[in-house]
Amino acid sequence: MRDVCLRVNCLIRVQSTKLTAVSGENYGAIEKPTDCGMNSVNRSPVLELDKVTRTFPGVVALSEVSFDLLPGEVHALVGENGAGKSTLINLVSGVLHPDGGFIRLNGQRVGITDPVAARKKGIITVHQEADFFPTLSVAENMALLHGLPTNRWSLVDWRSIYVAAQRSMDAMREAIDIEAPASRLRVAQRHMAQIASADLENAKVVILDEPTSALTTVEAEWLFEQIACLKQNGSGIIYISHRQEDIFAIADRITVLRDGHRIWTRSRNEVTSESMIEAMVGRELEKVRRRGVAVGNRENSHPRLKISNLNDRRKRFSNINLEVHAGEILGIYGLIGAGRTELAHTVFGIRKVSSGTIEVDGKPRRVRKPQDALLAGIAYLPEDRLQQGICRGLSVRANAVLTTLAQLTLHPQKESEKEPPKTKRSSRFNLSRLLQKNFLGMFANRKAEQKAAGQVASQLQVRHRSLEQPISQLSGGNQQKIVIGRWLLADPKVLILDEPTRGVDVGAKAEIHRILRSITERGCAVVMISSELPEVLNYSDRILVMRNGQIAASFSGEDTSAAEVATAALPTDGCTSPRVVKEIDRSAIQRWFTERTTTVKNLQLPRGEIGLLVMVLILGIWLGLTSDGFFHPANIAQLLADTALWVILGLAATTVIITGGIDISVGSLLALSAAGAGLVLKLPLSPTVTIPLAIFVALSVGISGGLINGAISLIGRVHPIVVTLGMMIIYRGVVIGLLRGHQISYLPQAFGNLVVHPESGFRGSIVFGGLVAVGMHVVFVHTRMGRHFFALGASPTAARTVGISKPKTWLWAFGLSGLLVGLAGLMELSASMNMQSQLAKGWELQAIAVAVIGGVSIIGGRGNVLGVVLSALLLRLVNSALVRWQIQGDQVDVVVGGMILAAVLFDLAWRRRER
Amino acid sequence: MKRISWKRFAARMLPWLLLVMALWLVYSQVQRPAALVGVGVQWARIGALAVVMTAIILTGGIDLSVGSMLSLCSVVMGVAWQAGIPGECAAVLAVGAGFLAGAVNGTLIVLGLSPLVATLATMAFYSGLAMMISGAERITKFPATRLDFSRIGGWPSEYWILALVFAVGTVVIHFTRFGRWCYAIGDNKIAAHFAAVPVHRTQWSLYAASGLIAGLLAVVYTMHKGAIPNAHRGVELEVITCVVVGGTLITGGRGSIPLTMLGLAVISNLDIGLNFLSARVSFFTAEARLMVIGALLILVSVGNEWLAREDTRKVEE
Repeated sequence: MRDVCLRVNCLIRVQSTKLTAVSGENYGAIEKPTDCGMNSVNRSPVLELDKVTRTFPGVVALSEVSFDLLPGEVHALVGENGAGKSTLINLVSGVLHPDGGFIRLNGQRVGITDPVAARKKGIITVHQEADFFPTLSVAENMALLHGLPTNRWSLVDWRSIYVAAQRSMDAMREAIDIEAPASRLRVAQRHMAQIASADLENAKVVILDEPTSALTTVEAEWLFEQIACLKQNGSGIIYISHRQEDIFAIADRITVLRDGHRIWTRSRNEVTSESMIEAMVGRELEKVRRRGVAVGNRENSHPRLKISNLNDRRKRFSNINLEVHAGEILGIYGLIGAGRTELAHTVFGIRKVSSGTIEVDGKPRRVRKPQDALLAGIAYLPEDRLQQGICRGLSVRANAVLTTLAQLTLHPQKESEKEPPKTKRSSRFNLSRLLQKNFLGMFANRKAEQKAAGQVASQLQVRHRSLEQPISQLSGGNQQKIVIGRWLLADPKVLILDEPTRGVDVGAKAEIHRILRSITERGCAVVMISSELPEVLNYSDRILVMRNGQIAASFSGEDTSAAEVATAALPTDGCTSPRVVKEIDRSAIQRWFTERTTTVKNLQLPRGEIGLLVMVLILGIWLGLTSDGFFHPANIAQLLADTALWVILGLAATTVIITGGIDISVGSLLALSAAGAGLVLKLPLSPTVTIPLAIFVALSVGISGGLINGAISLIGRVHPIVVTLGMMIIYRGVVIGLLRGHQISYLPQAFGNLVVHPESGFRGSIVFGGLVAVGMHVVFVHTRMGRHFFALGASPTAARTVGISKPKTWLWAFGLSGLLVGLAGLMELSASMNMQSQLAKGWELQAIAVAVIGGVSIIGGRGNVLGVVLSALLLRLVNSALVRWQIQGDQVDVVVGGMILAAVLFDLAWRRRER
Repeated sequence: MKRISWKRFAARMLPWLLLVMALWLVYSQVQRPAALVGVGVQWARIGALAVVMTAIILTGGIDLSVGSMLSLCSVVMGVAWQAGIPGECAAVLAVGAGFLAGAVNGTLIVLGLSPLVATLATMAFYSGLAMMISGAERITKFPATRLDFSRIGGWPSEYWILALVFAVGTVVIHFTRFGRWCYAIGDNKIAAHFAAVPVHRTQWSLYAASGLIAGLLAVVYTMHKGAIPNAHRGVELEVITCVVVGGTLITGGRGSIPLTMLGLAVISNLDIGLNFLSARVSFFTAEARLMVIGALLILVSVGNEWLAREDTRKVEE
């Protein structure tokens, strides 16, 4: 019981402005033992920024800003979006470099070259958009932040990665499977993993960028504990937040930035909420306070939105009943994961509903897709503005009218036509009206669009230059207003807003609240989902609290206190109390770790490979049983030799695809390196000279071809599919030019003997294929560069923040792929002893097919060698099976195509089920 | 007053400059302009496919299976016609087959497959199917038919199809709701879905349209030359080349149909011109032609990509 009280206390402390004074005392009390020793005035700062300037083309992001951070202090950095906070932390964390001024660490001038160097110096940054690599394991994600550790053979030291991750999880007391892909983590867990993975003992400066924006209250409490620990260790903490409550609760000093300038730095005691906001926005804000609940004739009118017994198909929420009336703002508060967003998505038709009814104005509605919701008059503002809200490249106008295009055609849809009356048929067939409606109704009306967008922009006071400028040029708050305006144009009956002010600066926040109020005055019912308690308390007429997918409590009237609401949102049963969970998990992790160290890693087969293996076995056995000569050594050798070629080509494609690229010049490049080798072999010299030379030529042609592909897409910043399409044409042209319409044949026999030994019939290509497979496995799994391929493919932005050099990684991947293609070219040449200009035409797509069937994700970051090997083998087996049925040549494509589809659909279905 | 940087101007003018050069090349080399009509037929075919491809790429997709769909429809028509079904009915069958093939593509993509992988698979599948149906033989001898679609008004029908598809495509993409949806989907599919744009319906209809037009072109081709199962291999890449040279971003959300026609004009005139030139200047053989087009593709796309970045760059005031 005492435990619960304490937590509630923390909650209030964090969440409520009203209780700041009390909370400050509490916090101080907790901190006292650590603080008093440190509070000497003449501590030397751990980090100093001396008149640092950074300009971007056309804008000064930071202008001569000085900033200092004392050991053991929390220094809050506040300012509106675009004030220069991100630039400042990017400078300190090594993502950017200053144009002027110095950075001093412990009194010494330092140049912070990149994020990894910053980490080594003890500067740890937790970014707001916790960038992570979704397809890589949690442990690896944590290790990549410091750079992967290597052992004495400079291979990746997986053991120490897991040990370190385990230690961090231990410290964090979180039940996270460190082997699971990081995409399973919630945003909050990602943040916590980032903080936990930091080598806190050596941390001098810890930068937390909006750390609580995604955290639930309990998690935020954990974070504040961590911060207290850090302070005790003498680390300085730069704390960036839009939440004033947090700032006043934990900051020792506060620095305000505005438009790239420092306004002032003061200690917390000297600052009031008003003075801080004034400094941030440079103007006074009008205050919109909560209005008394003034809903008049509730009894005799239908509620605008009525939800009864709504259940989610995946049990994220159940048995939801709620009503919202016209002119009312209903606040829904709850921890993240309580089912609030899922509920909104269901009402809006994005999630599937299992049972229950949704009524709008007393009429039951079936909402199966957002279009249905639009017709029903339900609007939804999504929580993630960048991913779900705006189309970045499109104009302000296009974004504003996207939903209501139907009303802005040459034949505007009238309100009455929105839903054609079903019973009353138009008695007379009216062709011209029908034509007008269905034909003219398709055409967009630019003038009307402009008028509507202009209306939105002026009503919501969107600051913009022109309606035709891309929306990405507006600030976050103005973008948000456009998305709200998009729905206002649709004139909704019910507007559901999911975190309407997340990541929006103070000024815009107040304007959005004012807009909400004015919407209700039009008779619209508003549902506002928020995790900010003050927002819910101050701006809603009624409050519902959701907890574990259920409505836990409902509050109305002005006497609602923050404590009541916050308590209702907390999980009640003892099992989910964080402390208890933490104790259990600790032992579980310990147990897991002891098991883990005794088993051999990387031996368990993922399901895709098992499927492939089963298919290979079935097909192999079937072929062996039905045909006589199948198990004849020569046949097997031929089969494996063919497989080896495709393993190598498949791996060439895989390398690039994993890194996030694609290469469709593989076939042409193979032909080019084979042509190079063939021409060298035809030189009138002794084979002992020409053969090594030919090998060298083929491999170097391969590498340079790959590097050229990579370099052009890098320098021109063009998607590799376009570059390699162009290079594919060019390489083929060079091949045709080199051969001049002839064939290269009658190559020296010694060259052919490299691959097929004349007496024993031994196939060298099998050895090559095997070596390449093993080698690539080592590269992919055990080298830093190989892991960087995966990291870059999984998330380029995250790769940037952990300091993986894109150019280097990219070129390595393309170069390595080119090398493999060159090798394949040599093997093909020596196997066929013949070379013509159309060699390997269309092989690029087959190579990609091998990779895709082998489980390589086309968007990068996922794949392994074993899958590719099995998939190459399977394709060759299928080929021989088809030959037995006398299906040859291009007809095989039917099966190849079918297999790609089967593989991808299988993968898709599996993922859907897992989710 | 906005200052137009010369770089931006140059990047915009690049394709036009290339077009002028290509046109001059054709003009200087061609002796009998009538010969151009015959040479241009394959480019008209590519152009018609490029219009739909532009719309597909605008939505962030890609259709690698257009060449295979051409082959498949052509073979369907050839086999049906040879089997004694009247030419007109065979034509309807072929167009239907094209629509069906496109609809399968669309369905796969709506299911959630990556367009690249899905159409790569169906590309192999359809061309293999064409091979199977035809037995890998070309079908050329047909019973007589009353209607001949291969020429209308003295011009090869490909030109008419191109004109029609271009006109319809331009109107649909640039002047209708559907077109606005395409841009929104290409820019941010999820946001479009949240803005009540019928994402799946839009995507599906584009892929189906691609199959339908491949079917139409296949009918005309078969009437003209017969069903040759592997004649259309690699067409998809030429189509994509035209689209990209026209300035459509391969990642979607930016591009236009008239500009694709510009891309088509550049590539086709260059190819035709260099082809004529190769008869006189031995340097400009097939390989040089390929290399010029490949280099051009890369050059123009680098310029376009730069322009797109420049236009959407955040301007801080």
